[in-house]
Amino acid sequence: MSARSEPALPPATLVDAFARSPSPMVITDARAPDNPVAWANDAFLQVTGYGLQEVVGRNCRMLQGPATDRTAVERIRAAIQVAEPISVELLNYRKDGTPFWNAMTITPVSDTEGVAFYYAAQADMTYVHQLEDTMRDTTGELERLVEARTHALSAALEQKTALLHEVDHRVKNNLQVISSLMLLKARRTPEGEARDALQNMAERIGALSTAHRLLYSEGDCAHFNLGDFAAEFLADMNAGLDPEVRRIEADVEPIAVAAAMAAPLALLIHELTANALRHAFPDAREGRVSIAARRTESGMHLTIRDDGVGLAAVSPNPAGFGRNLVEMVVRQMRGTIAWADAGPGTVVEIDIPLKSVS
Amino acid sequence: MGTGNAALEAALRVLVVEDEALIALELECLLDELGHITVGIAGNSTEAIAMGRSTAPDVALVDIHLIDGPTGIEVARALSQDRRTTVVFMTANAKRIPKDFAGAIGVIAKPYSERVVASTLDYLADRRAGRGEPACPDGFWPAPV
Repeated sequence: MSARSEPALPPATLVDAFARSPSPMVITDARAPDNPVAWANDAFLQVTGYGLQEVVGRNCRMLQGPATDRTAVERIRAAIQVAEPISVELLNYRKDGTPFWNAMTITPVSDTEGVAFYYAAQADMTYVHQLEDTMRDTTGELERLVEARTHALSAALEQKTALLHEVDHRVKNNLQVISSLMLLKARRTPEGEARDALQNMAERIGALSTAHRLLYSEGDCAHFNLGDFAAEFLADMNAGLDPEVRRIEADVEPIAVAAAMAAPLALLIHELTANALRHAFPDAREGRVSIAARRTESGMHLTIRDDGVGLAAVSPNPAGFGRNLVEMVVRQMRGTIAWADAGPGTVVEIDIPLKSVS
Repeated sequence: MGTGNAALEAALRVLVVEDEALIALELECLLDELGHITVGIAGNSTEAIAMGRSTAPDVALVDIHLIDGPTGIEVARALSQDRRTTVVFMTANAKRIPKDFAGAIGVIAKPYSERVVASTLDYLADRRAGRGEPACPDGFWPAPV
């Protein structure tokens, strides 16, 4: 490479090329006091707005202004002091006072006696900065929008949650009122069929109430835990029984069913249990009712068993509202039901399909 | 229905703080059936606090939502100031109960069954009479200790 000769370009050609370059260029005299501008090309004059006579003989700091970064200026000064090249971006000001971003490379040019000139090639970077500003503004605006939207959404969610609590509260309160109504009327009704009917109704409402109480208690509004229901239902039913004579037992898996099935399942379990208590043990006969539920492949299997007198011994009740209700509810849940004598007692087997819930 | 074991010495004097007239009336009937005495029925907080002062009941059953708003909390705080009175919330809005239970010893969640009311009152009577450490009945949720 060193064997290759320098291209023989006449200096005038070089000067001409620099002068015509669209990149702003400036050369300063390192040996004159305060390193003044010795030469500048047209592009430089165009960008800065000055005439040639206005810049020659003056230091380039004439382009600096109030918002020029002092530390960047200091870096230039330090590089010049040790005669090293430097690249820097500086906010400069045109003759008319408007600022522009000036990216420059300053290179010392030496002869045998040391640094003679500094050559600076520049580029107007204002549009890049404007782009950055615009991006920053856009990003900021987007962030503000997202924040406002998030705020609005959480406010809406809060409102909905409050509304859900309010409705839940009202439903529970209404169930209590309905139950109170039934019981008040029962109290004012002479002993007999009508009074029993009212009390039975109040009990059915009680079972629905237990189901409803458990519905939103765990924060999971979509599911209902049959195991929890069985535990509460059992405690409530057993509280009214003499444990020496009659007992209800439950072996119910913690099956999660859709919330919509809570009421029919509660009614079903109540009806079958109450039915067994009513009919299986005539004349203070001792006995036991057991409730079992387990998950199957396609749904759940429910067994209600008693060790009472059995189906055959019970005279068929033409009104049979309880049994009717049970079969209606099973049909509603698209299930199947089978009643059988278990010798002793009665066993009711129910299969209910469940949509796959966890 | 209820154990109804409220013998004369176990009969509790009960203040019912409930804005729903039907619920209050039915509760009064139930208390009577169980052998307890209803000393008053109040539907708003001012009335409830005044009745608490004038009757010094053994037990106050307090709903949270009353005619004048969710003021049952204040009522519980005021009534429990009197050491003679044991306060129990009876509400469909248990989420509103503050952490310290405002002086109440527990809550019966609405909709409740009469059996829960009966067994809770038995439990309270036993507690007040100092008959050992009775077990908490099902359906009654004690305040955190």
